Amino acid sequence: MKLTPSVFDGDFSETQQRICRFIKEYVENAGAKGIVLGLSGGIDSATIAALSSLAIGGKNVLALMLPEVENFSQKDIDDAKTVADLFQLETNICDMTEVMECFYDQIPVFDRKDRLCKGNVKARTRMIYLYYYANKFNKIVCGSSDKSETMMGYSTKWGDAAADITPILDLYKTQVRKLALYLRIPEELALKPSTPALWPAQMAETELGIKYETLDLILYGLERFMTPEEIASQLKIEKSTVETVKCRWLSNEHKRRMPIAPKLGFRTVGIDFRLPRHTY
Amino acid sequence: MKDKIKIALAQISSKREDKEANFKKIEKLTLKAKEQGADLVIFPEMSLTGYVVHDQFYELAETVPGPTVKNAEALAKKTGMHIIFGMPELSDKTRATVFNTAVFVGPQGLIGKYRKMYLPTHSVFEEKRYFRPGYQTAAFQTEIGNVGLCICYDIFFPEVLRLIRLKGAQLIVCISASPAVRRSYFETLTCARAIENTAYVAYVNLAGVQDGLQFWGGSRLVSPNGDILAKAKYDEEDFLTCEVDFSDLRTAETFIPTLRDLRPELFDKLKEYAELL
Repeated sequence: MKLTPSVFDGDFSETQQRICRFIKEYVENAGAKGIVLGLSGGIDSATIAALSSLAIGGKNVLALMLPEVENFSQKDIDDAKTVADLFQLETNICDMTEVMECFYDQIPVFDRKDRLCKGNVKARTRMIYLYYYANKFNKIVCGSSDKSETMMGYSTKWGDAAADITPILDLYKTQVRKLALYLRIPEELALKPSTPALWPAQMAETELGIKYETLDLILYGLERFMTPEEIASQLKIEKSTVETVKCRWLSNEHKRRMPIAPKLGFRTVGIDFRLPRHTY
Repeated sequence: MKDKIKIALAQISSKREDKEANFKKIEKLTLKAKEQGADLVIFPEMSLTGYVVHDQFYELAETVPGPTVKNAEALAKKTGMHIIFGMPELSDKTRATVFNTAVFVGPQGLIGKYRKMYLPTHSVFEEKRYFRPGYQTAAFQTEIGNVGLCICYDIFFPEVLRLIRLKGAQLIVCISASPAVRRSYFETLTCARAIENTAYVAYVNLAGVQDGLQFWGGSRLVSPNGDILAKAKYDEEDFLTCEVDFSDLRTAETFIPTLRDLRPELFDKLKEYAELL
């Protein structure tokens, strides 16, 4: 198998149709009145917003913009508004600053200098907003996790990874960008560098230590059981780079599953209790 | 036996765990098939219960014959139709041994059943977790012709359809619950199995979404020389009728005489080497 960027080419018309059918079916069967999603101004949320609108109509999609002072970016707000206008979404802006300050003040051991823990509180607070709106207006939460981040564990457990549906979870970032362009999301936005926006100037590729173009090919190879040697040789990179990715790929399975329990009973949730997932 | 029959491909989306609703759909489409002059109507794999029901197979399974088959027999008798559909079958000798089964009924009652031999247990499939494999291929001589049955993943194994053909089947019915990522394989294999066996292949797949798994539909009738004579829509429910002309087998068998040229001694080798894999 050849690991070249062309592996991420595909029939994005079919991808769009499949995802839209998935979203529409889920929302209808759930008896929900639409979708709520966080619209950050980044590529992933723009893509799920576009797909949701195409699936069930923009008036049924509530896009929440959740700025707060530490990470405030007018550019991101403007980009989010561009997407909302383009796909005729309902929008709501909620400034989270005061809520965040409450957490910072009220958690007894809170350490403002520990940016990772603090950032995760931010991601989980966004989740609380999304689920509040979902509960209140009988909508489902649409998550924006993609396959690159998910396989690297580059997400906050019960934060940005929490959702009812995750329409682009099976697409690597490179594919998401291509799909976004196919959906006519403006190129500037589709190719904008990704950030989880948990602290100022945080950039995904810097944190991951690798460009998505390379990372995605490594992940694609690992998914297909290629060895680190084969992948490194084909991509002309150090084997240690592939091994580092693989190590992260393996060690983050806990983020991709339900909480684990000791096996005690006849059938155990998360282990061997297998029931169909009904949405109604 | 008729030289020409009309068959209906009933590509439905099953409601999971709702046998009553699904059987109503089977009833409705059987009547529609009858109205359109069909002799046989075919429904997908697990059309009675839905395919992605996991542990619920134990609760949904019924013996064959059993309550649903009794209703299907009554429907076939009332309409004069032949009906093939898929359901989880509970062994009548145990309390929790289940098969993935195709049921074939006609105006005279139950014609027969086929228990899936190859149970996919890889990727998104977990059939060996729930089902015991069948051990018999199925070809039934009926008033509408000799009809063979197989189920979905069986079609990846040429020996299954070969055996069905050698038992006399001229129309091989493959009922399926195939998700979208497998479409190209089935599109190729349905044609290949028809050509290599010089038989009609009627493939009927589920449509709709179950637990995120999207079934691609695309049901079809393939002629003995590999032509797609009828093709249902991709992804969504569809219903169509088409004609099977058994007299065409003669032409196909003379043009590429795969059955005449069979080499039985190779089958011994096949067995020998398969055991050594």
